Amino acid sequence: MSVVELDKVSRWFGNVVAVNDVTMRLDTGVTGLLGPNGAGKSTLINMMAGFLAPSAGTVTLDGRPLYRDPEIYREVGLVPEREEMYDAVSGWNFVLANAKLHQLPDPESAARQAIATVEMADAQDRDIRTYSKGMKQRIKMATAIVHEPTVLLLDEPFNGMDPRQRMHLMELLHELGDQGRTILFSSHILEEVEQIAARIEVMVSGRHAASGDFREIRRLMTQRPHQYTIRSSDDRALASAMIAEPCTSGVELSVDPHGVSAVQVQATDYSAFVHALPRLASRHGIRLLEVHPADESLESVFSYLVSR
Amino acid sequence: MTDQQRGPAGAIHDIGYRHYDGPRLGPAYIRRALFLETLRGAFGLGRSARSKVMPLLLLAVMVLPALVVTVVTSYIGFDTLPLGYTEYVVTLQVVVTVFLGAQSPVVMSRDLRFRVAPLYFSRPLSRSQYVQAKYAGMVAALVVLMGLPLTLLLAGALLSKLPLDEQLPDYLRAMAGVLVFAFVLAGIGLVIAALTPRRGVGVAAVVGVLLVLSGIQATVRALAGELGNDTFTGYAGLLSPYPLVDGVTAGVFGADSSFGEGPPGALGALVFTAVAVLLVVVCYVVLLARYRKALS
Amino acid sequence: MSGLAFNGTVASLTRRSLLGRKRTLVLALLPLALLALCIFARVLGGIDSGIERELSGRLAPDLLAAFGIAILMPLLGLIAGTGAIGPEIDEGSIVYLLAKPLNRYSIIVTKLVVAVGVVVGFGVLPVAVAGVVLTGEVGAVTVAFTVGALAAGVAYAAVFLLLAVASRNAVVLGLIYALIWESLVGGLVPGAQALSIQQWSLAVVERLLGDDASRLGVDAAVGLGTGLTLLVVVTVAATVYAGRRLQTLRLNDET
Repeated sequence: MSVVELDKVSRWFGNVVAVNDVTMRLDTGVTGLLGPNGAGKSTLINMMAGFLAPSAGTVTLDGRPLYRDPEIYREVGLVPEREEMYDAVSGWNFVLANAKLHQLPDPESAARQAIATVEMADAQDRDIRTYSKGMKQRIKMATAIVHEPTVLLLDEPFNGMDPRQRMHLMELLHELGDQGRTILFSSHILEEVEQIAARIEVMVSGRHAASGDFREIRRLMTQRPHQYTIRSSDDRALASAMIAEPCTSGVELSVDPHGVSAVQVQATDYSAFVHALPRLASRHGIRLLEVHPADESLESVFSYLVSR
Repeated sequence: MTDQQRGPAGAIHDIGYRHYDGPRLGPAYIRRALFLETLRGAFGLGRSARSKVMPLLLLAVMVLPALVVTVVTSYIGFDTLPLGYTEYVVTLQVVVTVFLGAQSPVVMSRDLRFRVAPLYFSRPLSRSQYVQAKYAGMVAALVVLMGLPLTLLLAGALLSKLPLDEQLPDYLRAMAGVLVFAFVLAGIGLVIAALTPRRGVGVAAVVGVLLVLSGIQATVRALAGELGNDTFTGYAGLLSPYPLVDGVTAGVFGADSSFGEGPPGALGALVFTAVAVLLVVVCYVVLLARYRKALS
Repeated sequence: MSGLAFNGTVASLTRRSLLGRKRTLVLALLPLALLALCIFARVLGGIDSGIERELSGRLAPDLLAAFGIAILMPLLGLIAGTGAIGPEIDEGSIVYLLAKPLNRYSIIVTKLVVAVGVVVGFGVLPVAVAGVVLTGEVGAVTVAFTVGALAAGVAYAAVFLLLAVASRNAVVLGLIYALIWESLVGGLVPGAQALSIQQWSLAVVERLLGDDASRLGVDAAVGLGTGLTLLVVVTVAATVYAGRRLQTLRLNDET
């Protein structure tokens, strides 16, 4: 069906680079766009939705440039991040208006079906302003799928949803993906992406940091050496016990200017280490006061993965 | 760790939670901060560059004629200012109106629109203190807007070697008027803005109300003038805030009215003052009620 | 592509957001004030023959020009013109119109039509009624000021609609234009009146009043040819430019 392609795409605003030389291809199925806040996810989605011209490179839908071409919206559906809609309109009227704006041959039945898909039929006659966050999110979803688009872009769709609504939307995205649609959703929460997206694209500081199978990337991310800083009731005893473990590759005792000592541990096997640490501590009667990973920003994770 | 695990089922362990037990600044500090923030915010200070453009532009438009008058006076060597202190504000009332319209929503409705007002009230700050701080901030902003050009005008007059003992009383009268203006206008602006939290609507509503009132006032005055009834003409000023305050300035402080006939006699001065005070009190009460309702 | 056609769905969404309960109330206050004033003048006219005489002379045109054309029209044009699109752009809900296979110009034209509808309903018609109340007849004065108000209303709505697409400070900018430029600067520097929608529409009124214009005290700063041309040019150019701006509108979520 439809393919969205980004070729060497950059976008800058003044002297701030929001998206830096990104090349990616979105095929059918569900793709997760993962990255911390401010990584350029929304800019990327805005370009894919045709609202923003790339400063360099091309963004195309089946070979057609997307920017400034209203005709693309026959194939593209968009769920924006922002919540505001037309408040004084009922959910039904709003979805119906969207169907009419798409010039569908039978807007009523399209609207009815979209509302049924997001399970909003019971509340469809209430004004949108009376809706909860999750209901608004579902009505937004209904407006995006009312014309059965082949490409569906969702900007942070899980924000503000409770776990049940989250589950429901995840199932829905699965279903739509299985129907052969191209679906992209953005999120900054790893666990959300994990549950639905077979493929992920990772953005960090405007750069395309990783892409591919979720499990593979997760493995790469968790199996690198991890730095931990630990404070305990007996740092020296803990350090000697830690270095005896096969999962560590280095231990250092340090004292900061305030005279507070700490143990720096380099762990080679993440999961073995997190299991070993509490066991060791309790066996030696050491009380752990503080355990925290030294450099856990996505940025540093990917810079490690790239330079490896 | 081990001894804690043996405790009763369900316990909150002390793992080093910290709480603040240093000295705290009281409500007076909060009020002062809120007042200053309101005053600064009214001129866009501490906000984005785009928010600074409008208020500072309007301040510039307000000040510009004072500079022109100063230059002209010193060049040509008039022995009085061609534009008097009390007339000044009335002549430039549209600028004040637009400033009030543009900035009242900034001061008042953003806290409502973004639903952050409850955050204020999670501090030791009562609703009436909040309203007082906001009101005072807006009054101060208007005093700056109107007082700055008047002060420049005085400085210009003195630089042009006009006698201080002639200028100062007029200046002080006008500044007293500015204070009354600020209280009355800030009240009206804030009340309307608080009732119309939607962006854009507040601005149009504030300016619309002031403009329509002044239109009505002018028409009624013209009609009354046609009737030849001077008392009626004088009291027409009650219909719009500018002639109302001008009447107070003229009647109480003894300045010349910029609207022709001021309030007729001592009774008129009393009526004008009473109406102005009543207006301010009503505005304050409405604001209080609005915040009680919106944030309970 | 749907072409330049008026779009009923866009119109109905626009109408709903423009005529919310509170907005309708604010909007209704303006014409009500005008009508109340005219009735007041009429009643006084019944009491006093001098006023009666003035009403058939300069007073009626003065009132209609000062209140109708100089206050009512710019304010309504501002509220309707910016209100037709400004809040949607601010809140980001415009995306629901933009993410559709719709011609951008047709969105602007539709919104302009709705805004003009509001201006006519809350401004032009009340001016017509006010003319009848003041003069007691559907005469030259009433007709001239109704047409003049319509011309001014359309131009103000188009210009302020463009402002709302182009700037987030649209309402304040519009007020600065209508009040500070047209009224304050125009009053002090006569040259500024050449660039004033108010004066252009007064030119229309002046022509429609014909020879009576000078007796009735209607004197526009520009001639009919200039006024009419500028009204049409400004309205069309503002609409076209607004459509262009909408094509490249950036949806950012700053507040």
